[in-house]
Amino acid sequence: MGAVTRAARGSRPDLLASAIFIGLGALVLWPSKDLPFGSAAMMGPGYLPVLVGSLVIILGVVIGLLGLWQHAESIGAVQLRPLLILLASVGGFALAAEYAGFIVAAAGLVIFGSMADREWRLREVLISSVVLTLFGVLVFIYGLDVQMRVGPF
Amino acid sequence: MEIFDALYLGFSEAMSPTNLAFCLIGALLGTLIGVLPGIGPTATVAILLPITYFLPPLAALIMLAGIFYGAQYGGSTTAILVNLPGEASAVVTALDGHAMAKRGRAGAALATAALASFFAGTVATVALAVAGPVLSRFALSFGPAEYVALTVFGLLAATILASGSVIKAVGMVCLGLLLGMVGMDVSSGTTRLTFGSTDLYDGIDFVVIAVGLFGIAEIAINLESREARGTLAGKITRLWPTREDFRRAWPATLRGTALGTFLGVLPGGGATLSAFSAYSLEKKVSKTPEQFGTGMVEGVAAPESANNAGAQSSFIPLLTLGIPSNSIMAMMLGAMMIHGITPGPSVITNQPALFWGLIASMWIGNLMLLVINLPLIGVWVRLLQVPYRLLFPAILLFCCVGVYSVNNRGFDVALVIIFGLLGYLFRKAKCEPGPLLLGFVLGPLLETNLRRALLISQGDPSVLVQRPISATLFAASAILLVMMVLPAFRRKREEAFQEEEA
Repeated sequence: MGAVTRAARGSRPDLLASAIFIGLGALVLWPSKDLPFGSAAMMGPGYLPVLVGSLVIILGVVIGLLGLWQHAESIGAVQLRPLLILLASVGGFALAAEYAGFIVAAAGLVIFGSMADREWRLREVLISSVVLTLFGVLVFIYGLDVQMRVGPF
Repeated sequence: MEIFDALYLGFSEAMSPTNLAFCLIGALLGTLIGVLPGIGPTATVAILLPITYFLPPLAALIMLAGIFYGAQYGGSTTAILVNLPGEASAVVTALDGHAMAKRGRAGAALATAALASFFAGTVATVALAVAGPVLSRFALSFGPAEYVALTVFGLLAATILASGSVIKAVGMVCLGLLLGMVGMDVSSGTTRLTFGSTDLYDGIDFVVIAVGLFGIAEIAINLESREARGTLAGKITRLWPTREDFRRAWPATLRGTALGTFLGVLPGGGATLSAFSAYSLEKKVSKTPEQFGTGMVEGVAAPESANNAGAQSSFIPLLTLGIPSNSIMAMMLGAMMIHGITPGPSVITNQPALFWGLIASMWIGNLMLLVINLPLIGVWVRLLQVPYRLLFPAILLFCCVGVYSVNNRGFDVALVIIFGLLGYLFRKAKCEPGPLLLGFVLGPLLETNLRRALLISQGDPSVLVQRPISATLFAASAILLVMMVLPAFRRKREEAFQEEEA
C-alpha cells in the first residue's frame, strides 16, 4: 500500500474490488463446471451458477479496467492487527463452543478480542470478561436456553 | 369501514403486555444505538436477529422495527447536541441542528426534531395501513414472470438509488445470488458449491452473512479509524419551540413527510436517502437558501420528518410484495423466515394479527419515543462517554452467541470468519455490502420463478415480457440502466450523494 506518488492513475479500491470479483467468480465457476447445465427450459443445477459466476468475472474485469483509468485513489490506512485479532477470537469461540463450553468460550472471546484495540487495559478487560460471561450464562444459557455446555467438564 | 376493524385488531394485538414491552425495548435499544456512533441499526438488527428466534413472531418483529425507527430519533439527538451524527440519516440534521444548539436553542431543535418525527411516523403508519391491503390484493395476481420482473427491478433500483458505484453494486447483487445457491438445489436435489463440506448442504444461514458483513467487519473498521469526539454545545434551557419556529417548521415537516413516505417505498430508498432529499428540497423552496447551515428550523424539521417517514414506509414493499428494499428490510425478511412466515401478499390475509399488530406497534412506538426521549436526553448524552473499547467486546459476544444459537453448532461461527474478512475487504474496495444481502435473500425467489416461467414457455424468454405488469417492470429496469449511462443523470446522482460523503 505504498503512497501513490508519480502515477496519477489507478484507483486502488477499484482494483481490489476487481480482484475480489474475479477471484470469487472463479471460485464459483470451478466447481460448477461439473454440474449438469441443462437448457433454458429445463435448467440444470449448474445453469445459473455458471451464468451468474461468469457475469461476476466480467464485471470484475470491467471494474478493473475502468479502475486503471480513474484518478489515483489510495485504499486508506490499513491496520491488520484489529481485524486479525477479531477473526482469530471468533475462531477461538467457534472451537471452544464445541469442546470447552460457554464459560471458556465467552471469557476467552472477551479477553482475547479486547486486545484488538490498542487502548487495552488489563484490569478493565478482566472485569468486563467476568461481567459479560456471567451475563451471558444467565441470559443466553439459562434465560434463552441456548444449547451449549456451560463448563468444560 | 374495513380499515378501522383492521386497525382495531392491530391495536388490540400491539397493546398486549408482551408486545408493549418489546416495543419499548426495541425503541429504547434503537435510541441507544442511534446515539452511539460506531454501531448502527443494520448491525444491531443483524446481531439481535438470532435472539428473536426465542420470541413470539409478532413480538420479534415489533422489537426489530422499533430498533430501526428508534435509531432515527437517537441519531438526531447526538447530531444536534454534539455535531456527531449517530446515524447516516442524521448527517444533514447536524448542519442546522447543531448550529441552532450553538446559538443556545438546542431545546427547540430537539423538540422540533422529535415532533416532526412523530408527525411523520403517524402519517407513514396511516400510509402503510391504506396502501398495504391495496398492494397485496394487486400482488396476489402475480405469476412467475411478474415475480422475476419485480425481483429484477427491485434489485436494480436498489443498486442505483444506493450511494457508490453502480457497477460494483450489481456485482455485489450477483455475489449475493451466488451465495444463495450454496447447498441443495431444490428442484434436482444436487448439492451445489458446497466445496465438499456436508455442513453446507442446507446452505449458508442468513444470520452468518449478516453478522459477518455488518457486525464483525464494522468493529474492525471502527477500531482502525477512531472517530473524533464532538463537544457538547450549550445547555438545554427552553425546550418548547417558539411560535415563529412552529410557523416555519410546519410546512417543512409536511414536505419532508410526503417525500420521505414516497422515497421509503422505492427499492434502495429508506431513511438516509429521504433525509438528504428533503434537506435539498427545503433549500430549493426556501426564499433564503443561503441561510441554511446557520440554524434554520426548516433544516431540522424536514430531514427528521423525512427519515422517520422513510424508515417506516420502507416496510410497505416488504409486507405487501415480499421484496425488501434495503438491508434492514432484508433482515426483517430473515426474521420472518426464522418464524416460518413467508413475507408477501398472503401475510395480510393469512396473518392479519401480525400485519396490523406490527403497523399499530409502530405508531405506539413513535408515541413512546416522543414521551421518553425528550426528558431522557441528558441520559443519552451521558452514554456517549462510554468508550468503544468497553463496548465492542460485548458486541462481539452477542455476535458469536447469536450465530451459534441458530443451529447450535460452532461451524456457523467459524463461517463468520470468512464473511468478516470479506466484509472488511468490501469496505476497503468501496463496495456496499447491502446489495449482496438483498441478492442473497431474493436469489432463491428469483431462481425458482425464472425456472418456472421458462419451463412453462419451453425456454422462450419472451414470456417474461408478454404480460403487462412484467413488461412494465422490465421497461422500468431498462430505463434505469439507460439513465445510468447518460452522463447528465450520472452527474446529478453524484451531486445528490456528495454531501453524504463529505
